[in-house]
Amino acid sequence: MKVVLSVLSLTMIFVTPALAHPEFQRHFKETSGRTINCAMCHVHPDGPEGLKTGQIGSLTPDQLNTLGLARQANKPGSVVKSPILNEFGNLIVETLGKDKIMELKQSPGSLPDALSKTSDLDGDGITDAEELKDGTNPLNSYDGSPVKLLKINFFRNWFDLFMIVLATGLGFYGLYNLLLWLSVKAGRKGQ
Amino acid sequence: MSERKTRFQRLTDFLSDRLPLHKLSFENMVTKKEVPVHGMSWAYYMGGLTLLFFLIQLVTGVFLLFYYQPTVSDAHASVEYITFFVNSGFLIRNLHTWSSSCMIFCLLVHVLTAFAMKGFARPREITWWSGSLLLILTFSFGFTGYLLPWHQIAVNATKVVLQSIEEVGRYLPGGFANLPTYIKELIQGEASVGQATLSRFYALHVVILPLIFFATLGLHLLSVQLHGISQGIDNPSKKTERFFPFFILKDFWLWGLAFLVVFILALCLPFESFYSYPLFEAFDSLGSTPDGIKPEWYFYFVYYPLEILPFWIVMLGMTFAGAGLFLTPSIFKHTSRKVLSIIASVAAAYLIIITFFGQAIYEAFKGVSG
Repeated sequence: MKVVLSVLSLTMIFVTPALAHPEFQRHFKETSGRTINCAMCHVHPDGPEGLKTGQIGSLTPDQLNTLGLARQANKPGSVVKSPILNEFGNLIVETLGKDKIMELKQSPGSLPDALSKTSDLDGDGITDAEELKDGTNPLNSYDGSPVKLLKINFFRNWFDLFMIVLATGLGFYGLYNLLLWLSVKAGRKGQ
Repeated sequence: MSERKTRFQRLTDFLSDRLPLHKLSFENMVTKKEVPVHGMSWAYYMGGLTLLFFLIQLVTGVFLLFYYQPTVSDAHASVEYITFFVNSGFLIRNLHTWSSSCMIFCLLVHVLTAFAMKGFARPREITWWSGSLLLILTFSFGFTGYLLPWHQIAVNATKVVLQSIEEVGRYLPGGFANLPTYIKELIQGEASVGQATLSRFYALHVVILPLIFFATLGLHLLSVQLHGISQGIDNPSKKTERFFPFFILKDFWLWGLAFLVVFILALCLPFESFYSYPLFEAFDSLGSTPDGIKPEWYFYFVYYPLEILPFWIVMLGMTFAGAGLFLTPSIFKHTSRKVLSIIASVAAAYLIIITFFGQAIYEAFKGVSG
């Protein structure tokens, strides 16, 4: 069974071209004004073809099997663990299926609307769909729209911020009084 | 012999006038010290703010040293480790990055306002020269520190700068033509930007530059203390306030406020979020170079002119600006503060425009030429 699967997967891989989808990359690069590379959805920043880690040429036979199975995920809902895709890339295939992705290539701007409105893989408070629109990395919690991150983190860290304001204020209040006291002492000494 | 003695005497006279060490007393430096009060008084706080941000750099830099690995194979991974896995590592690293930008901003404002207020006039030449050296050292900190995370933008931007150094040789005569290449190789340490470069930048950033900085800062602060605060305006107002405790108290309150602002920024707003994420991937010499490689914002004043204008014009301009910076006490000896303020305002306007709109100007030029 394993041999059959392997042969089937390898056949699928070699008859199907390595489909990176530059239409989406081009679209979101233009609309967000940010540089975007294949690492948005793929493991390797230069895309799936090549011999480096995360590219097809570097995959082990088991990984090639997994890749073959992933490529059959034409409909939404399949569990996809493609070794050339990162977590976000796999989530897109799981959510939409390959057929829908191919369809969306005609209108790449619709991709974020087709994705989950709640999924936030990096937990930075900005949904993956929004990050895709903004041209930021959905897998890096320190990458995101600066305005959104500032707002989200400000409210997330309100207690820490309150404490640091309090500590700084009290510290300087103490320093203020210490300096005033020293000033009075120095004045008396001068007289 | 007599001429030598005269020269020596002139030198000692110059130094005793500029560094009057006999004024080193508690009364002169604390209790009797007065600060002029006028419309430009706010500028007296900029030096202190620069010092605060330097101190933040120092403390956070030491913390980063505990985890950072200065090797091309591990540098990027160690920075990622600091950011994502070390307790408060992200905060420390972001504080380091934000405070470096704040330090350079305050330093630039400090230099421009000190110039406008004629803070370089006799007997404050040493204050000005040491301050100018501190400015160059601060830019050097920025340049050397930029490479350390070993990500795409760091390595590629460093390559561009080093390449620019080499290009200077094309405009130098005879034997001097090879000097920039020699300097480039000295900095780079090998044929291309690699481990030797990283080791050198690391040594410069964490040992050599700080030592020179401390010595220069010491001289700068000593000179400021010995001469007191400059009058700042052509017709000095008679209104003054006591340095201790009133000015120093305001200074400390400002420090507290500035620290809070930087802390909030460091906690809530990753500095790198202003840039595209591919720029911060680990440098791969065999991979593709992402778009948008450029130096830090505080180098835009030279980067965009280099992109737009012929290289020799920019180099000539920078040479004049650099020489002018150190020769300021002689060149502007008799210039009124009003004229100096205009020159400083023009320089500030240039820095603001090129920093905020440099990309748009570049694209406009590129569009025209293309």
